[in-house]
Amino acid sequence: MRAIPTLKISISGVRGVVGESLTPTLLVRFAQAFGTYTGPGVIVLGRDTRTSGEMVRQSVVAGLLSSGCRVVDLDICPVPTVQLLVRERRARGGICITASHNPAEWNALKFINSAGLFLAEAQARQLLDIYHQGEYRKVAGAEMRAVEPSAGAIDLHIKTIMDALGPLRAERRLRVAIDSCNGAGSVVAPRLLEALGVEVVPLNVTPDGLFPRGAEPVEENLGQLSAAVREHGCDVGFAQDMDADRLAIVSERGLAVGEEYTLVLAAQYVLGRERGPVVANLSTTSALDAVAARFDCPVYRSKIGEANVADEMLRRGAVVGGEGNGGVIYPRLNFARDSLVGMALVLHLLAESGRTVSELIAELPRSFMVKEKLACRSDKIRAALRMVRDAYARWPMDLRDGVKVTTPEGWVLVRGSNTEPIIRIVAEAGDQESARNMVEGVRERVRSCFET
Amino acid sequence: MRCRPPRPRSQPTDVGLAVVCEKTGVNSLKIGISGVRGVVGETFTPELAVALAQAFGTYLDSGRILVCRDTRSSGPMVRAAVLSGLLAAGCEVVDLGVCPTPSLQLAVSRLGAEGGISITAGHNPEPWNALKFVRGDGLYLNPMQADELLDIFHQGEFAKAGWERIRTKIERADAVAHHLEILSGAFDVESIRTRRLRVAVDCCNSSCSLLSPRWLEALGCDVLAVNDDPTVPFPHAPEPGPRTMTQLRAVVLAGRAHVGFAHDADGERLGLVTETGEMLSEEATLAIAAEIQLRREVGPVVTNVSTSRGVERVAAKYGAPFLRTPVGQAFVSEAMIEVGGVIGGEGSGGVIVPRVQWTHDSSAAIGLILEHVARTGERLSELAAALPRFTILKHNMAVEPDRIYSLLQRMRDELEAEKLDYDETDGIKVSWPDGWVHVRVSNTESMIRVIAEAETAPRAYELLDWARDRVVK
Repeated sequence: MRAIPTLKISISGVRGVVGESLTPTLLVRFAQAFGTYTGPGVIVLGRDTRTSGEMVRQSVVAGLLSSGCRVVDLDICPVPTVQLLVRERRARGGICITASHNPAEWNALKFINSAGLFLAEAQARQLLDIYHQGEYRKVAGAEMRAVEPSAGAIDLHIKTIMDALGPLRAERRLRVAIDSCNGAGSVVAPRLLEALGVEVVPLNVTPDGLFPRGAEPVEENLGQLSAAVREHGCDVGFAQDMDADRLAIVSERGLAVGEEYTLVLAAQYVLGRERGPVVANLSTTSALDAVAARFDCPVYRSKIGEANVADEMLRRGAVVGGEGNGGVIYPRLNFARDSLVGMALVLHLLAESGRTVSELIAELPRSFMVKEKLACRSDKIRAALRMVRDAYARWPMDLRDGVKVTTPEGWVLVRGSNTEPIIRIVAEAGDQESARNMVEGVRERVRSCFET
Repeated sequence: MRCRPPRPRSQPTDVGLAVVCEKTGVNSLKIGISGVRGVVGETFTPELAVALAQAFGTYLDSGRILVCRDTRSSGPMVRAAVLSGLLAAGCEVVDLGVCPTPSLQLAVSRLGAEGGISITAGHNPEPWNALKFVRGDGLYLNPMQADELLDIFHQGEFAKAGWERIRTKIERADAVAHHLEILSGAFDVESIRTRRLRVAVDCCNSSCSLLSPRWLEALGCDVLAVNDDPTVPFPHAPEPGPRTMTQLRAVVLAGRAHVGFAHDADGERLGLVTETGEMLSEEATLAIAAEIQLRREVGPVVTNVSTSRGVERVAAKYGAPFLRTPVGQAFVSEAMIEVGGVIGGEGSGGVIVPRVQWTHDSSAAIGLILEHVARTGERLSELAAALPRFTILKHNMAVEPDRIYSLLQRMRDELEAEKLDYDETDGIKVSWPDGWVHVRVSNTESMIRVIAEAETAPRAYELLDWARDRVVK
């Protein structure tokens, strides 16, 4: 049998397994392609804490310098810090060295444009064309620029948040547990929390890249955090992923409330301060609509993916947005999925409302989400989607990214993955059983499509 | 020895494989025994440096490897590429920063390293850069080892460290302090200090800026340093010789210095200016070092086939055994160790002082010369005047690549027919009592180098023409 390839070159960047497919030569070439794409100028570079980070960093530095770029090297820092710095330095772009939630053996390059946003699809395709063409800009030694270390980036990130939101104005000092997964958040989150004026219970804040848990901030990975919240009587627990763009919340009772609610609570605080449009992707919980409705604000939906959400936010002039996977974008502070901004917003909500996380969640309409993956040959995906479309023809439908059907019970989204031969099914309804039934209904219909 | 200023020699002298750069039509990449050298922005790409570092890391079983660089502006790029390649191969990397190659060579054993990579194109101009590969004993890879390394490089199958084994950071160390310590232990520092010599030095704004002035201060000298800022570009070609020492000469004269020293970019070659302001040929450095060393102890002297006969005469004067090797430092070093040489080096200004290390080290040469001047009171101009006088001429002939070797073979045939003896150590060398001429293939460009030396200038020209006629006939 053919070995499963470990290299993925796509519009979301290049990722692979260190020691196998992610070689320094490949990385140097990608960095040169990016330097060729952006032209000579400042490129901001950051990385998460993975053990391969130093090797990848050196490869990228070599490629960027060779193509005439000046490298502002932030070393270990969250992805949103890189995005913030790109704008602050008016850089040509940025490269983040992180495989986000992938396991420790993976690493990846993610490319950021001069607006501090991940490359849009067309931009990414242009970069890939340059990469594949293999003709990179090469400057002579005399034109080569230096590497500039930038130790102040993290301070700037914290200052940006503190200047806008200020320390908490709570009647009593909140106690907060933070689990940074030994990732890039380790170097910022405890400091930000101190600045906000909370008592910090730190977990997994050694930036050594040795994963203490699964990197995704989802319930099954939050046992240690839940226990710490209970043990120390914390008001809230926060969990970050490796590159600190996503945030999950554990309630004061030690329960993972689900990463869908991070954006909901953050939006609740933002809309209380300023009203305006809200943007989320198609698979984000409808609890967000309930919160927006309280403030008479519209919610616009976008295709899945940070670049798409950001694009829609720009178009709609959104005051807040993000994704249900725990990614909060608050453009006033940082046009990026930023777990640090998310933390600050949620803490301010807790402090100003005087309510607990559980109470805030209880005020939202009860809803349950079921997420499912279904193996499906990539050439069958379109047929499967058409089948779903026909079967649910009598209900309102959104076809921008797969098929999203809204029924009286709730909604179900069916879409093919961009990177793997699978179909993803997500459903949300008022109770667990309805949501499950909706997923099962789709699954039955899709299966019949394979059999005929 | 008074030598006519050599005509510009565009490229270094080494053995190896030349690759033509199609873009410019010149050979701007050379992969050979002394490393890999090319023009940055053309042939010397980051991918090349990465792959070579991976090959070297693979060759040394993913052990501990030292890395240093000179001050060329492409240095940070090449450094990053080398570090990434070594890390990917699972090596433990110790970065010495900007530091002379001889300092790295001494540090290899002290830091228990398996080897080192010096990122420097030595005496080549600023647009060039190169990787020089050092093995565990501090010497350059010999031709056999270099071939093994290149086989790994060409095969392209490198050691790859997975996430559990890859090194997560780069260690740092200082090699210059240790080098100074070794130097201080090797020479009679007290005698030199008491003389308070006044010394001018030109560090070419390169890595010697971090070593040479400190060494001279440790020797109690009154130091007149120029071009000792490693953050600015080379002020002139980093190739010590009369063409590049006019500024140093002015400093020597204006400052009434006892001697002027000129460094190349990485601390191997040394150029000399006498207290009278005479800029000596780079060929004189080894001859003077030999004169000094042989007065202390008589023993074998080693140099390459292209080096001036002045050195040979000095050896003969003291009855010292004399040995010539092919051109290339690795050959000279290994031969010296084999025969227990007391002094050696090459006509380029590189001197090997065995009490410091078995490799070119311009700071060791400085120690040797200053120790002699301090102990004897002899002036550098007197030492220079006592050397045998020769005229040495260096000439490069451009030839189509496919004709080079047949031209040499035809010359050999003619010499056979004329029943003339010749030396085949490296190319063809024909010697007469009053001079010699050496014809060899350059590996950096499509050309044949002709070097002629004789006791008088007319005779040197005669020999040069004689050889040229035989090549182009």
